[in-house]
Amino acid sequence: MQRAVEQRGIPTVSISVALDVTRHVKPPRAVFVPFMMGHHFGVPFHTELQRHIIREALNLVVEARESGEVRSLAVTWAQARRQGAANERAARGETGAEITGA
Amino acid sequence: MTARFDDAGRQLRPGLWETVNERYPGSMITKDDYVPLARLRRPLAESRLTFISTAGVQPAGTLPFDTVHPVGDYTFRRVPSGATPGELEIHQLKYPTHGAARDLNVIFPIERLQEFAAEGLIAALTPHFFSFIGYNMDAERLERTLAEEIADAVVADGADVALMSPA
Repeated sequence: MQRAVEQRGIPTVSISVALDVTRHVKPPRAVFVPFMMGHHFGVPFHTELQRHIIREALNLVVEARESGEVRSLAVTWAQARRQGAANERAARGETGAEITGA
Repeated sequence: MTARFDDAGRQLRPGLWETVNERYPGSMITKDDYVPLARLRRPLAESRLTFISTAGVQPAGTLPFDTVHPVGDYTFRRVPSGATPGELEIHQLKYPTHGAARDLNVIFPIERLQEFAAEGLIAALTPHFFSFIGYNMDAERLERTLAEEIADAVVADGADVALMSPA
């Protein structure tokens, strides 16, 4: 699918949570995040992380020089979940909680 | 029941993402080569972005994806890019949706993309995003039909750049 779009002259980037599949499919550009399936953009209500992943993907569109680059983001699932939970506590106004960025 | 992932470091053991196809058996396209890169025709801030997803997200009330067909559903839905999460629903059976049930943006980041368009990181969104389900057991058929149909629809919608998310 990604290759079909790219071949129409439209640059593409995908978000991967499956390095094995990405290696088989060989998309033109991909950003890998070590997150569970169904959570490619992170965790609920962690808007900064969701934005970070999209920005990094778009950066790769601008910066990639060779087809097939897979860029891994320096994030972990545990960290994303901790930050997401902290953000939700802060949004509920619980004391001691503060908003955490990506 | 609340899922516990507090020791996510252990649960998502290193290298887990090397075995996704083993654990979620499905058809998989295998390529031996790379397609040439297309280049942005204009800067991102002047580009119109589309989003293509296998998440099975669709406008509420449209014909649900056939999630129980043995070889999959090779149709796609257009999702208005100005929709709110409340106007959308998910029909699929192959990935965990506990995050998406609380915040659709974890798999279909429509609000984040709307923000980026409003802020000017990108010029605009295409009128539609494009969605289908990942459960398609005939990879050759998907490549021959659905991939081509969506690629044509993306061109018709005036996309300059495409963000894609294989759920």
